[in-house]
Amino acid sequence: MKKVKALILKTAGINCDYETQTAFELCGAAADVVHVNSLVEKKDKIFEYDILAFPGGFSYGDDIASGKILANEIKNKLGDKVKKFSLSGKPVIGICNGFQVLVKMGLLPDPELFEQISTLSYNDSDKFECRWTYLKTEKKVRNESSCIWTKNLPDVITLPVAHGEGKFISVNDKLLEELNKNNQIVFRYSTKDGKIPKYPLTPNGSVEQIAGICNTKGNVFGLMPHPERHVLALQHPAREGFDGEHGWGKIIFQNAVDFVK
Amino acid sequence: MFEIEIFTKEGFKDSRGEHVLSEISGLEIKEITKVDYAPVYIIDADINKTEAKTIASELLIDKITEKFEISSNSGSRKSKNSVIEVLYKKGVTDTVSESVIKAIKDLGITKEVKVKAGHKYYLHGNISKTALDKIAIKLLANTLVQEYKIK
Repeated sequence: MKKVKALILKTAGINCDYETQTAFELCGAAADVVHVNSLVEKKDKIFEYDILAFPGGFSYGDDIASGKILANEIKNKLGDKVKKFSLSGKPVIGICNGFQVLVKMGLLPDPELFEQISTLSYNDSDKFECRWTYLKTEKKVRNESSCIWTKNLPDVITLPVAHGEGKFISVNDKLLEELNKNNQIVFRYSTKDGKIPKYPLTPNGSVEQIAGICNTKGNVFGLMPHPERHVLALQHPAREGFDGEHGWGKIIFQNAVDFVK
Repeated sequence: MFEIEIFTKEGFKDSRGEHVLSEISGLEIKEITKVDYAPVYIIDADINKTEAKTIASELLIDKITEKFEISSNSGSRKSKNSVIEVLYKKGVTDTVSESVIKAIKDLGITKEVKVKAGHKYYLHGNISKTALDKIAIKLLANTLVQEYKIK
């Protein structure tokens, strides 16, 4: 069987590319870390891949605002290709800085519109927040979301966050209603038993505790927590996870690889 | 030359401003009631105001939470509040400026551009020059590599 191929896009300041590559490889995919300049030189190379990943880090030093410069660069130089890839239904993920990039170039929440209609702004604390958080998985609660990345997860999982700008804000209340109605809000920060948390369990003051969203089709997914930092139980301070060996993040990457298969 | 200041829109939290206000109270300065934080970018290039607006709206602001003001010939907007402006000293590598220059090229503006990136703090309340100096030196500027101006 043909191996599933994942493209991990990196540039100056990205520092989670190898962890993301390892996560996909653990799930049986072949993952290449590709610099944005290489992709700009050969734009159609993107279509040789089945999955596109925007990893975490501090692209261009988080200068101006997190993800802003990379978002502009991709939109201006690769926008039509990235949009086409997303609308084809292939899995796309943005993790932390990658989520900021997706939101700021407008690929989320609506890749068809491809305009910025939401943002990830400065944490309420005005500090970099780095800790393990609990996430309520809306998919499991309602069993309606079409998000391909979050299937087979329990009601509440743990993943670590590490960001200074993770406060999700939508352009207006109507958009927030639509995101809720379409079950596009797939992760919310929660307490261990799935209730609404207070700081520090909600690390940034996100509207409705939003930690991750997807498009209506369910193939484009962005989240502030880092699933690639919990693919092995060993990565958790209390060795939590499932099957005694793996962390919850593995299920997320495995879902995308299995979807392509 | 254009000076572009970025402000938080009404109704959104100015986390940096609130943080600075909290730190000022830690200096036992009680006269300040509010701080507005504004990143500032001084663009030195042969560009017109339309291009400067494009740089501001497409690159420098977050369209959801921020707005911008542009003034030309380095004339800052007038304010009834005390303003502390912090910029890197001449000769110090300004990495934010280098990123902004790269990003302006990505926008398709290929003219030679020089940028200085800094910070402005609008302090509400009556306060002495001595206290402003104390706030600037203790909290806002690393005077080894940055200089500050009180306006």
